[in-house]
Amino acid sequence: MPALDEGMPLFVQIAEQLADDIVDGVLAEGARVPSTNELAAFYRINPATAAKGINLLVDEAVLEKRRGIGMFVATGAREQLRASRRKRFAEQYVDPMLAEANRLGIDTDTLVSLIQGPGWHNGGSTP
Amino acid sequence: MTPTISATALGRRYRDQVALDDVSLTVEPGTVTGLLGRNGAGKTTLMRIITGQEFPSSGDLRVFGETPAENDEVLARMVFVREEQSYPDFQVRHAIRVASWFYPNWDEDLAQQLLKDFELPPRRRIKRLSRGMRSAVGIVIGLAARADLTLFDEPYAGLDAVARQLFYDRLLAEFAEHPRTILLSTHLIDEVADLLEHVVMLDHGRVVLDAPADEVRGTGMIVNGPYTAVEEFVAGRTVWHRQRLGSRASVTIADPLDLAAQAQARALHLSLEPLSLQQLLVHAAGVSADEKVSA
Amino acid sequence: MNTLVNVGRYHLVDRITWLALPWGIMAFSFLINIGVALAVPTVPQGIYTGGLVSLYIFMLICGSLSMTRSLPFGLMMGISRRTYYAGTALLVLTLGVVYGLGLTLLQLIERATNGWGLNLHYFRIPWILNGPWYETWLTSFVLLVAFVLYGMWYGLVFRRWSVPGLVAFIAAQILVALLAVVAVSATGSWSGVGHFFTTVTALAVTGVLALVALAMGFGGLTTLRQVTI
Repeated sequence: MPALDEGMPLFVQIAEQLADDIVDGVLAEGARVPSTNELAAFYRINPATAAKGINLLVDEAVLEKRRGIGMFVATGAREQLRASRRKRFAEQYVDPMLAEANRLGIDTDTLVSLIQGPGWHNGGSTP
Repeated sequence: MTPTISATALGRRYRDQVALDDVSLTVEPGTVTGLLGRNGAGKTTLMRIITGQEFPSSGDLRVFGETPAENDEVLARMVFVREEQSYPDFQVRHAIRVASWFYPNWDEDLAQQLLKDFELPPRRRIKRLSRGMRSAVGIVIGLAARADLTLFDEPYAGLDAVARQLFYDRLLAEFAEHPRTILLSTHLIDEVADLLEHVVMLDHGRVVLDAPADEVRGTGMIVNGPYTAVEEFVAGRTVWHRQRLGSRASVTIADPLDLAAQAQARALHLSLEPLSLQQLLVHAAGVSADEKVSA
Repeated sequence: MNTLVNVGRYHLVDRITWLALPWGIMAFSFLINIGVALAVPTVPQGIYTGGLVSLYIFMLICGSLSMTRSLPFGLMMGISRRTYYAGTALLVLTLGVVYGLGLTLLQLIERATNGWGLNLHYFRIPWILNGPWYETWLTSFVLLVAFVLYGMWYGLVFRRWSVPGLVAFIAAQILVALLAVVAVSATGSWSGVGHFFTTVTALAVTGVLALVALAMGFGGLTTLRQVTI
């Protein structure tokens, strides 16, 4: 069971986990999202909190509600999420890396060669 | 919508002590509210007044819009699972059977399933059960009654961690399938933190905190790191607590931190540790104690 | 109405205490009396014993148990104190009717067998349980209800004020009795009292007992109002 930490509000974490699944393709577009009760039981949280998390994604048009059937992943949701995450990418991942590199005295060239090292698929886009 | 419970300036005093002092709160229908506080804070007294077992000394309390004391209509919609319940000389199955007569929403299948889950022998005399199993009997009745207002007052005395988790899971499942208003008093806050939608904290008979759980969660953060860096980071923020050991410091702040602030912390090589609900409430109790001292 | 019946059912889960023991104890006392009657030489007017009181005393105990041992769980069932009391009283009334009938039947058998062949009057008590069957039934019923309500009141007094309360309760009753005796002596009315008792009818006595029962009920209800569990 994925761990929920104390940092972000619970409902935000729920939304992030669902978003992760959409970005990874685990939750395909048009697929049904777990219900509020299912999420609540899975994470052992209050159903109202789960509902808040889902509503967060509904507000961002990542999920859509189909009356009487449930919540579904909206078309274009994956690309939408990836785009918004790309915007955060620099702030969340690049800046800390640069800060740490600076702290350890790793210069830019070494950094680039580390990035381009044997283990990295060049080209930038994942299948 | 009428609040399920509505207290206005509620007070209860005994000869030598004040159990409740100017308590005002509302509990909305269909929510899970945690009633938190230290031993002797007034949680049990409040719940006893809500269930008509005690009478207020002052103020007003309404349940489903009416006074609960001696009110059969209101009382029939409530079930109160206490910390220590005294039973007549019954076997477990007798207590379950009697409860099924009185509660209109009683679910017998659920009761039987819960008896199995908690491994309660139906033909054992309740008097001869261990403390934990006696608590389990109360929990079975409390859940199977499906009462509109379900109150639990530290119902897990003697229950081990596994049984407690079973209780929380069943409670959550029941609440999800058949929504009702739940008031749960506990001092094992972190165990139930994620189940709570609303939090009320009592201290020496007064309400010191009454807020949605989401608001309370994530309010506090402990910032650890080199002293100067920590001080630089917390400058201008609400500081709750400062601790220093040599060149390192640990400061607890109140403000939530956005992504930028978190990045800044990382840049300063500070570690951030969110406060758990339990820690937050310990803080809230401490604040009210300090206020009393300085008042 | 259904809730009141359920309170009665709740008490009757303990069938032994409410249904078996009263008759068992009375049967035991009856057998003792038979034994005594067999051992003692026959007396012309027969032997009248007060052994029947054992049934009533035990029912009094049942009453007090209903308000001590059984009260907390009863109130947990989402009912008011008044409802709990009323449901218990309803059970008592029902048992009073049924048990009264049983006692009446036994009295009829006793008469028919001439005191069980030993001239033993166990189920006939002079002056109050000595008349026609319907009077016996009514009087037994009223007596039973009075005894149980009295027991319930004891239980409630104990719940509310514990042992000191019980002591005060008993002391108060003794005091009232003493005051009555003093009042009669002061007004020189002993002969009047004696005259009253020789001329009063069993039915009138039953009426007085009914009033006593009502007083017991009222007393219990008043005490109950502030009882907390």
